[in-house]
Amino acid sequence: MDKTTIICRCEEINCEEIEEAIGHDARTFDDIKRLTRCGMGPCQAKICISLVADVIHEQTGSHLHEIPLPRMRMPISPIKLETLATNSTTFSSVKSVMDEVELEEGKVR
Amino acid sequence: MESSYETVVIGGGVVGNSIAYHLSERYQEGILVLDKKYPMTGTSGSTQAWVWVHNKTPSWYAEFSMYSAELYPYLSKKIGDVEYKRTGGLSPFFAEKDREKAKQLADSYRKIGIKIKVLSREEVLEKEPSINPNVAGATYSSIDGNVNPFRLIDMYMRAAKKNGVQYSTYNKVTSIEKQNGTFMVTSDKKTYVCKNLILAGGTWSRELGNLLGIDIPVNQLRGQIIVTEPLKPFLNYTISGLRQAINGEVLIGYSMEKAGFDRSTTLDVIQETANMAVHYVPSLRKAKIVRAFSGIRAMPEDGFPILGKVPGHENLYVAATHSGVTLSPLIGTLLTELILDGETSVPIDRYSLSRFA
Repeated sequence: MDKTTIICRCEEINCEEIEEAIGHDARTFDDIKRLTRCGMGPCQAKICISLVADVIHEQTGSHLHEIPLPRMRMPISPIKLETLATNSTTFSSVKSVMDEVELEEGKVR
Repeated sequence: MESSYETVVIGGGVVGNSIAYHLSERYQEGILVLDKKYPMTGTSGSTQAWVWVHNKTPSWYAEFSMYSAELYPYLSKKIGDVEYKRTGGLSPFFAEKDREKAKQLADSYRKIGIKIKVLSREEVLEKEPSINPNVAGATYSSIDGNVNPFRLIDMYMRAAKKNGVQYSTYNKVTSIEKQNGTFMVTSDKKTYVCKNLILAGGTWSRELGNLLGIDIPVNQLRGQIIVTEPLKPFLNYTISGLRQAINGEVLIGYSMEKAGFDRSTTLDVIQETANMAVHYVPSLRKAKIVRAFSGIRAMPEDGFPILGKVPGHENLYVAATHSGVTLSPLIGTLLTELILDGETSVPIDRYSLSRFA
């Protein structure tokens, strides 16, 4: 890999950008992700995960088994919102900002 | 790295970083920021990052938030592009009965100089054509917006480092002692001595306070968010519940759960969040989501920021709050004034830790 090698294809992040993040003391995939967007695209780090680990290893000397994996989250592979939606309009954990406005004797506190 | 500092800030989230940066504008040496992991690992990296003023109650708290939002354009000039956009904020309501509440809100805000409009259904749809046509109305304020939280913290850090602030990350504080008017802060890596100590531990504030035998009543409140693939720019405003980022992705979510430090995403809340998305903006049905994430809000027991001197402890300060993104420019500015000048340009007495005593 040279400096211009693309590590994250989704977000077009090259090796030099990963190295710069490590220069700012980023030590894990997720640290680097939040600084550069590496791994935030549609593939969700499936392509860049081991390449980034290689760069961390080269720059810091950490062994590969010591480098934490990125946190994978649902849905793993992109799905449409309508697949998740149940079309209910009753909410419990999800709030509306208007519901949070507190009135006291008919007036805003 | 030195072991003696003028000021140590514990916590490298948006609040701690803003304090360190604003302090470094006034003096360039002797500031250290400690983080138990890496900045953005916690709350500051798992947020929609609205810069939000309207609908905050009581009105004095909205006023405080407004002063902070007003600082954002100037802050971006100083530290660099943080993708701050003052889009205006829209809070839709679907029941006619909410219109009265919205009018009350607008009335009470007018007195403190925050302009809120109560929009009719037609006005909402004109402003934001993608909103569900069944909407009854919305409150609208032009001061609301959003920012890229990653860029914000990165730029705070870069600007602070340029001004001489030192950072030590993956370095958890394990004990704090007070000796002869100085603090001895022992961490995984080293013991530091400092004159001023600032506790900016966010969700971990209670644990941090315990090291000094102080009760900082901050609880955890989980929020779950879903992220779409990048879509063409189609949302004009920050809508309370969702917003579109500069790269086109839409961030959706406004959930609250008491789950301690558990950062799982759960199917029930993600489904509810999807329901909210299609209820507010029906065309999102066909959008693909690429990720869900969850973050833990730092929620003081009464919901309001805890800011300022720690009563009975000289040179000890605390800054613990939810809405850290909205409030960070103001909190950084005011804590700097408090530490260096002994007083603040905007009163913060109301936010003192002493109110819980």
